[in-house]
Amino acid sequence: MSAALQSATGAERPSIAATGVWHRYGPGRGLQPVSFEWSGPSVAAVTGANGSGKSTLLKVLAGLLAPSGGTATLSIGGSVVPDRARRRCVGYASPDLMFYDELSCAENLAFAGEALGLPDVRGAFTAALDQVGLGGVAGDRPAALSSGMQQRLRLALALLHRPAVLLLDEPSSHMDDEGRDLVARVVEHQRRTGLVVIASNDEREWTVAEQRIELRGRGLGGAA
Amino acid sequence: MIWRGLLLLWMAVSMVAAFTWAPLVPGLEETTRVLYFHIPAAWLSVVGLAWSMVHSVLYLVRRRIEHDDHAAAAAELGLLFCVVATVSGSVWAKAVWHSYWNWDPRETSIFFILLIYGAYLALRSAIEGEERRARLAAIYSAAAFVTVPFLVFVVPRIYFSLHPDPLINPGVKIEMDPRIRSG
Amino acid sequence: MPSNGSSSAAAVWAVLRKECRSEWRTRYGLNAALLFAVTTLTAVSFAIGRLANRTDLLAALLWIVLLFAALASLSHAFVREVEGRTLLLLRLVASPTAIAVGKLVFNLLFLAVLELVTVPMFLVLMGGPAPRWGAFLGILALGSLALAGCATLVGAVISQTRGRGALFAGVSFPLLLPMLAAAVSGTRAQWEGNPVGGQARLLAAYAAAVLGASLLLYDRLWED
Repeated sequence: MSAALQSATGAERPSIAATGVWHRYGPGRGLQPVSFEWSGPSVAAVTGANGSGKSTLLKVLAGLLAPSGGTATLSIGGSVVPDRARRRCVGYASPDLMFYDELSCAENLAFAGEALGLPDVRGAFTAALDQVGLGGVAGDRPAALSSGMQQRLRLALALLHRPAVLLLDEPSSHMDDEGRDLVARVVEHQRRTGLVVIASNDEREWTVAEQRIELRGRGLGGAA
Repeated sequence: MIWRGLLLLWMAVSMVAAFTWAPLVPGLEETTRVLYFHIPAAWLSVVGLAWSMVHSVLYLVRRRIEHDDHAAAAAELGLLFCVVATVSGSVWAKAVWHSYWNWDPRETSIFFILLIYGAYLALRSAIEGEERRARLAAIYSAAAFVTVPFLVFVVPRIYFSLHPDPLINPGVKIEMDPRIRSG
Repeated sequence: MPSNGSSSAAAVWAVLRKECRSEWRTRYGLNAALLFAVTTLTAVSFAIGRLANRTDLLAALLWIVLLFAALASLSHAFVREVEGRTLLLLRLVASPTAIAVGKLVFNLLFLAVLELVTVPMFLVLMGGPAPRWGAFLGILALGSLALAGCATLVGAVISQTRGRGALFAGVSFPLLLPMLAAAVSGTRAQWEGNPVGGQARLLAAYAAAVLGASLLLYDRLWED
């Protein structure tokens, strides 16, 4: 079934539509109402100052956070993806993503693959690790990796199930120049068939974006 | 506003009347007076719990924060009444049966309700973030809602209860002096 | 789209395997729990001695020891994720229900191992008549099922709060009270030669109610 999904992403176009999405963490902190519609294949960027809600928005799009208001829907080929199936269509990476220290990198990804129901788990994680250049350290524990390599592992997780949509929150954090090139390659590869959303302050990261929204303000000052 | 005033007046009058005008139930004598506090408090603590739980479930279904406000407010008031009921019941038990606590079915039930209230409010106090607190408290409340009916089965009704059942027949009639009932 | 049933089952299985593997690699959860159970049991035995035919006390003490051991250890499955900050990874690859059910089954296994050590020790140390094994094990199993069900739900809730051990115990207790009463009553009954059908049915119904409610509630556990 997920094989069918993978071939579908080649032909069908993913799109994300947000309508009045806002979220309040507490007084004065949160995401202002935002609406947009992005269709793939393409790269979109979410920019804004610290605290403007970039990470919040990405979490909402990934289905990790239920917003205080508004809706965000993901569609593939015109049909809306139900919430429970969203995790299979979305690859998410952010700096606060941590792995199990008692499992090796390969085991972490293998667990992810099994939980997602991938048909060929070994093949999937081997390919993902190779794609990000971690093939040699597959058996090592995540704690043994440098921060740059840990970031690559996060990318590997996002790419594991070949999702139609990639949501990358500051993908080049901790990366050296080689790492940045890798991110650029990954984005380039994904934009051909699917949608990439990059949240970042760093102009180098989002300069390739065709669509961009800039989040303003320090969030919500009171009840919206 | 006028209703609140009237209610307050009624409560005040009832309390005074409890000590002066109400008749004494034979057998219980002066301790009857506690009825006016104990029984309404016990009822209100149950009603508060039910109200709180219903609104918790409503919050989970409709995701509107007002339901959480209701649930929390009902819980806080309900706890107050529950403490009044438990303490007044215990004092009465000492006066009449010479034992503060016996784990008879009614005592066990009110204590159980007290525990639920306590747990619910303790949980709420440990969570930051309005929506997270509402959600987690509602989940707990809904789970507790499921367990309450079981206590009815667990606490056997067949064995002798120290509670004054003769006042309230298994039938429908309440054989109380009308003056007690008006309180 | 992949069918929900098979992918959920795959996720539950993956979570369960991951839990077992993590527990095996670190082992501190089980070690601590066993130590705690044995300590409690030793204290009781030391203080009270053998209770040849006080079946009421025996039944109560058995369940108190098990309850304490459970309350000291069953929140571990969720707290571990929060402390390792791996909850995000879990949520990206599995639905909340799958995560919780996986951990529920793990908690059941954990409790079974705990009881495998504690119960024989209890029977030996505390004296008492030989149990009617069918009834005894039946009550033990059903009570443990209810215990694990409550502890898993409350553990999942508590892991998102500032409170830990004491709050877990305090918040679980009201939910555990009916189960405790029925289990103690049933255990006592089997020692006294009385039928345990009523208590067994009650425990089964209670476990079913708690598990059923949990399945409905797990979905809302993690929304931020």
